[in-house]
Amino acid sequence: MGRRAIVPLKYKMVIPLVLLLLAVLIYPMGSSLLVSFQDYRLTALRERHFVGFDNYLRIPRDARFWNAMSNTLIFVSSAVFLEFVFGFGLALLLHRRVRMRNFFRSVLLTPMFITPVAVGLIFRFMLNSEFGIIPYLLRSLGIEVDFFATSPLALFSIVFIDVWQWTPFMMLLLLAGLESLPREPFEAARVDGASAWFTFRKVTFPLMRPVIVVAVIIRMLDAFKVFEYLYVITRGGPGNSTESIMYYIYRVGFRFFRMGEAAAMSYVLALIILLLVFLEFQLLRMARST
Amino acid sequence: MMRRRLRSAVVHVLVWVAFVIVVFPYFWMFLTSLKPYWLITSPNVWIFRPVLDNWREVIFESKLPLYLLNSLIVGGTVALVSVAVGSLAAYSFSRFNTGGVPARFAILAAQMLPPVVLVISIFLMMYHLRLLKTYVGIIVAHLSFILPLVTWFLIGFFDEVPRELEEQAMVDGYTRFQAFYKVVLPNVRAGAAAAGIFGFVLSWNDFFYALILTGGPTKTLPVAVAGFWTFRGIEMGQMAAAIIVAIVPVAVASFFVQKYLVKGLGGGLKY
Repeated sequence: MGRRAIVPLKYKMVIPLVLLLLAVLIYPMGSSLLVSFQDYRLTALRERHFVGFDNYLRIPRDARFWNAMSNTLIFVSSAVFLEFVFGFGLALLLHRRVRMRNFFRSVLLTPMFITPVAVGLIFRFMLNSEFGIIPYLLRSLGIEVDFFATSPLALFSIVFIDVWQWTPFMMLLLLAGLESLPREPFEAARVDGASAWFTFRKVTFPLMRPVIVVAVIIRMLDAFKVFEYLYVITRGGPGNSTESIMYYIYRVGFRFFRMGEAAAMSYVLALIILLLVFLEFQLLRMARST
Repeated sequence: MMRRRLRSAVVHVLVWVAFVIVVFPYFWMFLTSLKPYWLITSPNVWIFRPVLDNWREVIFESKLPLYLLNSLIVGGTVALVSVAVGSLAAYSFSRFNTGGVPARFAILAAQMLPPVVLVISIFLMMYHLRLLKTYVGIIVAHLSFILPLVTWFLIGFFDEVPRELEEQAMVDGYTRFQAFYKVVLPNVRAGAAAAGIFGFVLSWNDFFYALILTGGPTKTLPVAVAGFWTFRGIEMGQMAAAIIVAIVPVAVASFFVQKYLVKGLGGGLKY
């Protein structure tokens, strides 16, 4: 009893968290790292052995890895950009006096709470070239498209789906940002007779910059993990034109059972993401200082 | 006056357009789930005699209720553990600044880790322990990202409770822990519930971990839903019904969580 009292309450209260995270996060991270230095194939478990950096050295020459990486970067940048534009637009709209504003807000936010598998399947169904409602409506306008059949379009159809699901998230954060802005600069702008566009460019946007950077970072981190839409719609095709990095690593690890290589790739991915986040934090710092 | 009215009209039209874009897919899936199988591949049919065949098959003749139960068990366990463990730790982070900025940052950094890093070793662990296709692996995997997030949310909610509250309680003879348990905790009840529900939603929606770590009788709902697109045509009505089953609980939960989400995401950030 006397000895136990030496551990202060503040540490006692974090012990369960620390222990649990050691078990479910730190240990798996470490053991993945070990796996990444081994020839570790589920199909040849007996022949498991350490191979140093071999798995890592293979990555620069792996064309499919870089194809998947470039698909992912194209996907992330176009999806997050569009989500930002539409999300900001919607946030500005809902920031005004709109009838049934709270109702609209709540309904417009629902897509971000739905499982991406369902979203992927809904759009696979609605965009299907034979019996989808959207190609059907387009056909009546004289437009014939098959959203998932040809190379650049398939990837952008996936972008479109991501935009449908995640624009609400941007809207949520940006609307909260707008609502927390100080009022004085806007009143000053109005007194000076500034136009709406001028006020937006010179007052709203600069004040919102930190919120924008945070929203974009969170969204980008999440968009990097794109997997479900591909799994239920294109399976990476046509060719490998929609294969994302997560999907490729999944294939290497759980379709070809080459765990060592998959682990090495996943660590390279983690490093690339870390680098991007670091760059964006520099951006945030710049945004704050100006 | 004219101009303002025009602008207001434009704003309303745009909001309605967004509303239709969001709601139409829900409506279309609902309509599809009520179509008899010979109409499912006819997008031009809007008016028909609705049938409940798809719903009957999904509820009574498929294993979907079992998978729904799996999702409830996994999500419920993860949410409860996260809130219990997370609120203890979050209180410590909030009041004693335990571990300082690095600890807070570490909690946030856990969110950046791509799931593939963890899934490989969790999969191998479960493989060697012969625990694949049990609840263990999926609960471990979900805790790895939901526990830090829930803790992060809770730090923010605890920060908002004035310190005077527990100081007063301690003057009244409570120990620090009693003050936490009996005075502070009830004050973050709503926030903790929202964090728990959000954690539940994240678990309910996860597909990646569930695909790799569950299977057979432990499949969760998203994995089961993804399995409906195997035969073309006839299964699609059931798929529509299953999708609605997967969507509705979280859509309802979202109305409760929305209010706290922004505040929660801000979490332990100290400006």
